[in-house]
Amino acid sequence: MSGLRTALASGTRQVGAFSWFVLDFTRAALRYGPPRGQVMREAWRIGIASLPILLTISAFVGTNLALQGFNAFRPLGGGRLVGMFVSLAGVRELAPMIAAAMVAAKAGTEMASQIAVMRIGEQVDALEVMAVNPYAYLVTPRLLGILLVLPALTIISIFFMVLSGYLVSVHQLGLNGSVFLHFASQGIAAVDFLYGALKAMYFGLVICTVSCFFGFTCQRGPEGVGQATNRAVVVSAVVCVCSNYFISEILYGGLS
Amino acid sequence: MSDSRPTIELLDVHKRFGDLVVLDGIDLAIPPGETTAIIGPSGTGKSVLLKHIVGLLQPDSGRVCCFGTDLTTATERQLYAVRQRFGMLFQGGALFDSMSVGENVAFPLEQHSKLSPAKVRQRVEEKLDLVGLPDTWDRAVSQLSGGQRKRVGLARAIVTDPEVVLFDEPTSGLDPLTSDQIDRLILTMKAHLGVTFVVISHDIVGTVRIADHIAMLHEGKLVAWDRTPAFLRSEIPIVRAFLQRNLVLPSGPDDVATLPSFG
Repeated sequence: MSGLRTALASGTRQVGAFSWFVLDFTRAALRYGPPRGQVMREAWRIGIASLPILLTISAFVGTNLALQGFNAFRPLGGGRLVGMFVSLAGVRELAPMIAAAMVAAKAGTEMASQIAVMRIGEQVDALEVMAVNPYAYLVTPRLLGILLVLPALTIISIFFMVLSGYLVSVHQLGLNGSVFLHFASQGIAAVDFLYGALKAMYFGLVICTVSCFFGFTCQRGPEGVGQATNRAVVVSAVVCVCSNYFISEILYGGLS
Repeated sequence: MSDSRPTIELLDVHKRFGDLVVLDGIDLAIPPGETTAIIGPSGTGKSVLLKHIVGLLQPDSGRVCCFGTDLTTATERQLYAVRQRFGMLFQGGALFDSMSVGENVAFPLEQHSKLSPAKVRQRVEEKLDLVGLPDTWDRAVSQLSGGQRKRVGLARAIVTDPEVVLFDEPTSGLDPLTSDQIDRLILTMKAHLGVTFVVISHDIVGTVRIADHIAMLHEGKLVAWDRTPAFLRSEIPIVRAFLQRNLVLPSGPDDVATLPSFG
């Protein structure tokens, strides 16, 4: 019971500290702006770091969507609906989530560990002493970079999911390619891509602020860096997955 | 016209972390153009005191004034304006690992000056030369030894020609020869630059060589603070105990021959 109370108290403290962090960062971002040239560098780094793993995972999620869709709909006589299933699940839910998960795993952990190492190596203090706001210098370019690149990664993920679903459906399951593409395009509308990009931007905001927060509040020593990195990915994933339900409800709930 | 008002003034500064009292009513005035060393055993709050001087920490009560600005009530803009008049050498150098040596030293200039890239490069090369590391612009920080890191940190601290340079344990973790080099460097810079130095150290031998004034912190209080020769003759028991561990102390006012110095 006392363990639960301690955990609750610690959780509440963390939420409070996170709120202050977001407030301080927002104030700094509005006052100072990002350092020159850093935003594109960060966008490039985040994109390149996450792309190979994202392509691999997206391709294999697409293959499984096709397999499961085929198995689920065939007994009902709806094997043709595989295309729709792949595009609907992929575009609306899985691509933004998977792109976010991969970016959290690669770029988010990198943000947390880099800033944590800078924190314990007094480099964050050094920035302050050199009259450079550490939030504006370290967080703003990472945030703008992730906001630029995560929607793009999501679109790429959608493309690879549908492509791999198509290849499995046509070459393994023997479905007609034109029928697959017809139903795939029926399942989604142009606005779904916009919604996917909006979701991706929200996930990017969560991943960046959470990862940088744990980096900035890192405890001393190598154990602190490991803990910050671990917490960054766990909390980012939990917040993204749980809040995804509410976002889908807002974006798509009215359709039911 | 010289101005003898203190550059930095701490007035009744108190600071505690939880139940631990770290600074317990510190009053200290750092005179301009001279070197003040703050010594004391580990864990007595020396680094905390230094962080108050640059506004990285705020006191629970009391005031910290730098160049006439009260840092406890200053806005962020005022605080940053004061900090631009400071340079600071951190204990481990605090260099940015993602940048080369030259980029590290150039960083404060690129942030705050309107110098052309060629002028920045020239200024950085000058400072690297001064700290004994010429032609190292492109070298990676990871390739530097502990002493070299400190010297690069020193070059970065002085690259903007600040009015005050703060040193947090400039020789800790270094071998005696490298420590000597760093101490000599501080003396050379003092002769060249004529700026105010504040040195935090528990290396009493090095401190005696470089400091004009010495202050000693013990259990959160300033137990002694005087010009170096007078400080070394202090009869305060805790000061004697701290000094005797490392020095052959002068027995009387005229006996200063036993003080360590660079010949």
